[in-house]
Amino acid sequence: MMTRYGMLIDTTKCIGCYACRTACQRQNGQDPAVDYIRYEEREVGTLPNVACETVPLQCMHCEDAPCVKVCPTGASSIDENGVVTVDENKCIGCKYCMAACPYQVRVHNAVTGAVEKCKFCHHWVYEHPETPSNTCVTACVTGCRIFGDLDDPECELSRAIVEKNAQPIMGDLTKAKIFYVR
Amino acid sequence: MTFEPIWNSLIAWYLFLAGLGAGAYITSSFLAWRHPDATSMRKIGHLIAPIAVAIGLVLLMFDAEAGLHNPLRFFYLLMNPGSVMMWGVVFLGLFMVVSIVTVILDFMKKKVPNWLAIVGVVLGACVGAYTGALLGVAQTFPLWNNALLPVLFLVSAISSGAASVLFVSIFAHADEFNRVGVLKKFHFCLPIIELALVASLCFITAQTNPAGAASVASMISGDWAVAFWLGLVFVGLVLPTILEIRLLFFSSKEFEESRPAHYISAFSDLGVMVGGFLLRLIVVMAAVPLTVVVPLA
Repeated sequence: MMTRYGMLIDTTKCIGCYACRTACQRQNGQDPAVDYIRYEEREVGTLPNVACETVPLQCMHCEDAPCVKVCPTGASSIDENGVVTVDENKCIGCKYCMAACPYQVRVHNAVTGAVEKCKFCHHWVYEHPETPSNTCVTACVTGCRIFGDLDDPECELSRAIVEKNAQPIMGDLTKAKIFYVR
Repeated sequence: MTFEPIWNSLIAWYLFLAGLGAGAYITSSFLAWRHPDATSMRKIGHLIAPIAVAIGLVLLMFDAEAGLHNPLRFFYLLMNPGSVMMWGVVFLGLFMVVSIVTVILDFMKKKVPNWLAIVGVVLGACVGAYTGALLGVAQTFPLWNNALLPVLFLVSAISSGAASVLFVSIFAHADEFNRVGVLKKFHFCLPIIELALVASLCFITAQTNPAGAASVASMISGDWAVAFWLGLVFVGLVLPTILEIRLLFFSSKEFEESRPAHYISAFSDLGVMVGGFLLRLIVVMAAVPLTVVVPLA
């Protein structure tokens, strides 16, 4: 059965604790300098009503993925469930995908020389199709993140996207599958 | 926040050498058609072409570390016909074959057939333009994502290639160098066209969006200002233009063919090549991407 995995990130709930990144790094055995989640932070509002907005960014698993389009070796591809993957045995490390990604969420692994990024925890998800989740989702202390199947209108993710009017961070640019509430 | 460039000077060297090699082949074919007597110069250009491109390709492999550790992976490079880089590999591969065959024909003292020269020129033009298109499709970088870049890189490639052939000829075959007036006049025009293209690139990119403005600011008044103004604009474009105007239009024939004039020409050609490299380096390194929330500089 095919699914179309996606995520919702509610930045209005995000407190900028970076627990999602730390959990992701532990899950993927990375050292602190390498991360699949990066943050853009800024002050919003006018004095005295100001707040700090934290926007966590990671691979958006775009349906119209620029990285897949430019990858010369076919190492970057979209699997049958819509997850954008990098085949580490095909990647030559040309970094073209890093230049093409509009979200700058691909990282170069200094040890292997290959390019990596968020995997939507697909190994775990495919083994547990009844309770699909991501490490960053379970790690989030304020419940900003929801993971699920965008093709299932009854799931928590789909209902939350409609209810909160969540949108991809750059609109229709790449048909991204992470939806943001800002 | 500051942005860490994705590619480094290795890629700039590769883009420069691939362009220079392609330009040298185009220059040699021009010599064959317009100055058929300049046989030694023609052979110099034929020889520079595969050597420069081969060095560039080796540098490229060193940048692509995952491929360097597992060289068989480079065979995957032909897997995605939608990728500009795949087409670059095709153009570069075919160009290498044609240019090496040309060198072999030269060494065997056989005539390079016209059709082969034409194929080489077309492939050379593809290689030169490809180096610009490679960067051009990255839609996040306003400095790259425009139709001007492939044209600019192609003009610069032909200019650098011609400069390399003229430079070597001055020291190897000064007699032939004195007789290739038409080539020199064409070569003289290229930095002027390039200057207009660089100015257009800066003016237009600066007006696109904050990332475009930041890229141009980095070039003309930021980290790359000295390399841009002194290296690219003055040494690479303006100085060669002034020197060549002096030599081509305001010199007696005796002076033009004298050794001091040759050294001035050599200096000007060296400047063109320095400019060609700096153009790639600055364009690769100064580009800033558009970001989602916080603009980068």
